[in-house]
Amino acid sequence: MRRLVWPGLVVAVIVLVAVLAPLLPLPDPVVQDVAHRLAPWLPGSFLGRDEFGRDVLSRLIWGARSSLAVAFAASFVAAVAGTALGLFGGWFRGVAEFLAIRGADVLLCFPPILLALLVVTLMGPGTGTLIFVLSILYLPGFIRVAYAEVLSARAQDYVEAVRALGAPTGRILLRTLLPNIAGPVLVQVSLAVAAAVVLESGLSFLGLGVVPPTPSWGQMIRGARATMEQAPTLLLWPCVTLTVTILAMNLLCDALRDALDPRGAAPPRRLLDRVLPGLLPPPAPALLAVQGLTVEIATPGGIIRPVEDLTFSVTAGRTLAIVGESGSGKSMAALAVMGLLPPAARVAAGSAWFDGIDLLRAPEPALRRLRGGDMAMVFQDPMSSLNPVYRIADQVTEAIAAHRSPRPDEAVALLTRVGIADPARRARAYPHELSGGMRQRVMIAMAIANRPRLLIADEPTTALDVTVQAAILDLLADLRREGGMGMVLITHSLGVVAEVGDEVAVMYAAQIVERGPVGEVFARPRHPYTRALLAAVPDGEHEAEGIPGTVPRPDAWPPGCRFAPRCAHARAICATPPVLEVVDGRDIRCLRWREFSA
Amino acid sequence: MTLVQAEAIEKTFAGRGFFRAARGVRAVAGVDVALARGEALGVVGESGSGKSTLGRLLLGLLPVSAGRLRFDGAAMPAPDTAAWRALRARMGIVFQDPFGSLDARRNIGAQIGDGIAIHGHVSAGERATRVAGLLAQVGLDPQRAGAFPHEFSGGQRQRIGIARALASGPEFLVADEPVSALDVSIQAQVVRLLGDLRRDLGLALLFISHDLLVVRHLCDRVLVMYAGRVMEEGPVAALFAQPRHPYTRALLSATPMLDPARRIARIILPGEPPSPSNPPSGCVFRTRCAHAIDACAGSVPALRPMEQGQSVACIRAKDLA
Repeated sequence: MRRLVWPGLVVAVIVLVAVLAPLLPLPDPVVQDVAHRLAPWLPGSFLGRDEFGRDVLSRLIWGARSSLAVAFAASFVAAVAGTALGLFGGWFRGVAEFLAIRGADVLLCFPPILLALLVVTLMGPGTGTLIFVLSILYLPGFIRVAYAEVLSARAQDYVEAVRALGAPTGRILLRTLLPNIAGPVLVQVSLAVAAAVVLESGLSFLGLGVVPPTPSWGQMIRGARATMEQAPTLLLWPCVTLTVTILAMNLLCDALRDALDPRGAAPPRRLLDRVLPGLLPPPAPALLAVQGLTVEIATPGGIIRPVEDLTFSVTAGRTLAIVGESGSGKSMAALAVMGLLPPAARVAAGSAWFDGIDLLRAPEPALRRLRGGDMAMVFQDPMSSLNPVYRIADQVTEAIAAHRSPRPDEAVALLTRVGIADPARRARAYPHELSGGMRQRVMIAMAIANRPRLLIADEPTTALDVTVQAAILDLLADLRREGGMGMVLITHSLGVVAEVGDEVAVMYAAQIVERGPVGEVFARPRHPYTRALLAAVPDGEHEAEGIPGTVPRPDAWPPGCRFAPRCAHARAICATPPVLEVVDGRDIRCLRWREFSA
Repeated sequence: MTLVQAEAIEKTFAGRGFFRAARGVRAVAGVDVALARGEALGVVGESGSGKSTLGRLLLGLLPVSAGRLRFDGAAMPAPDTAAWRALRARMGIVFQDPFGSLDARRNIGAQIGDGIAIHGHVSAGERATRVAGLLAQVGLDPQRAGAFPHEFSGGQRQRIGIARALASGPEFLVADEPVSALDVSIQAQVVRLLGDLRRDLGLALLFISHDLLVVRHLCDRVLVMYAGRVMEEGPVAALFAQPRHPYTRALLSATPMLDPARRIARIILPGEPPSPSNPPSGCVFRTRCAHAIDACAGSVPALRPMEQGQSVACIRAKDLA
């Protein structure tokens, strides 16, 4: 909202002054006074007189009336007509689409100035002609913007939902589509108004717009040009006014667009750097030991901690599953270990020892050598993790070549290894030609290209069908058995954990609440959250039980036990934060766990 | 009494070729559905199996390419006609994506109120009262009708989507993967809400899911789809206890189970699902089936009734039992 104030104020002042021009104590803008021509300053005319001795300030203000009236009127006409045509064309398709879009294309074929010249020549110069010409010129822009927005909006579920309710077409267009395409249309309006002011000045400058002696900014620039040597300021004032007006209009429309969007400003996107695969492995058994890992993000509302005091370890040939709901911080923990945190986040405390190197403190070159070499990562979305413009073989080879020279047929051999049928042909394919399951296999092929000793897989099967998921999990299990690879598997699916995990760490609100061998934890869960999660899985004879409420936001963790607000067993004692206890090789963060385990 | 009755319905999407007419894509082929009031039917299948298309066909949102579709005894009118629009009040749809299915620019009260405003002339006050009632019914605070979708969590948004679908008082509700995008702790809440609503309102419910386990406690019967065709249909308990079609078996075996005792040997399907524009002859599943014989390529197997109310589209069902 604060962004609206300044540009809004400037535009309001300009418009107000223009509107109130007849009431202001200004000299008549068309009365000539040749005696005082080109006077730089006179009492009563602060900006001086022009080449006919007319008052410059008065002409600027009266000129704003014609310039702005033309610009606003033309943009308004073009916006209303263009948006309507775009809406109809995008919604009804067929004939309406043809007329709107091809019509716009034909208009776009004419050079704008030429079209303006043509119309002005036919209709004669004047304000009405100018508005007509400019609205025709800006019409195609509005049609195309509205049309494109409608096409993408009409495929959205919320439009389908209103249609499924039986809403009449008019209601869908006005109540649902129009507000959703308003943002880009508003931006287009700001561009059109600014451009119209400029074009009006240009046409008036050429003598084709506003008819003299009626003042307009373009007229003034035109007049000032002849006397540029004697009185350069005459040129300056209309130019400055023009620039300030256009700048304020653009800023206002930008701020307006953001203010009208109820979602507010979009949060910054998570930055997922691509993993660079690297070097060959030394033979010693690898072990990742993470101690007290804490990640901080500085936000306008203060520092939040999406990962707090995380401790776990992975031994060679074993799988540690990190499980938790969305927002529990499990992916952030994996990124921290890989050194791939987004720029806004930083490691505040802790260590992650891998092969004698603390990953959290190692310099970037050392980490780069490890990433994709001894340590590899597989991400959730196989489509956005592959580069769409390169062939599969090139991307797999690239993964190897990041640190050693690949053998010619190595890419195909790797694709064969991850179970891709017809690997020689698939190697020449582009990512979009493969199914989701195959793309994930390619990602795994790239991750294992340099025989990593540790694989971090972040929701590797979440985007896949269950039958494909089963195949990918089998593949990962095979690779682990053969190469003695350790694996950190991040998932929200307890079923997947039960099938492939050796150890499990349950995360809730940035902390590990329970950790231990999968069999023991699932058979005898100690933490109420683990128990509630297990009961929520629709497996077995009982009906699944949900957990009331949702995961608290990272800026509003409860002061004591973070699960207490949703916990059926919470008592007054739970207002003190529980510490992580280690009992029989299992970690537990609950003050009352002994009472439940009895 | 049957509310929704479909006989051999089919949907072919026209292909769009630049130089020549491309082959059409047959998304749904020869599917029969009979759904009574108060009955819940689960439709299970993987991506591309045609289950979402089937849901939209049954709602009349898409016209069928072939076959007969009746709602409450009368033929389904063509989309966007007056009769079709009037029928919207009697059906509702809940979408998968809790983010994209709500209009981010209108408050939730206005969106829920759409269904009331479109199908009846009610005063603004009456509409607000009914919106509050609907919010309470789906377990949300009735005071929050003025809030915008982004102020709610995924699970809450899905409840808003359900309230919107219920606003016009439908008899038939299609839920298209309503819990797939939600955390497991939230899934159970939404599934339970749908179960309660179905019981309390006597809704005919079509629940579309890719997860067999989710439909288990909610639905009476399940339809298993693959490449646009029904592979197997039957009561939930029987189908889980004894899946008869090789595809149902593969699907069940691939579903991760918590309890080690319930796990069965995984059947990994070789290859990829067939292209919907060029399906194999005969049984669509035969290209990936371990039990396929030459006869499977002959003709499309019909859905044949078996014991315990199950029906299976497999010529070898008896041999494999």
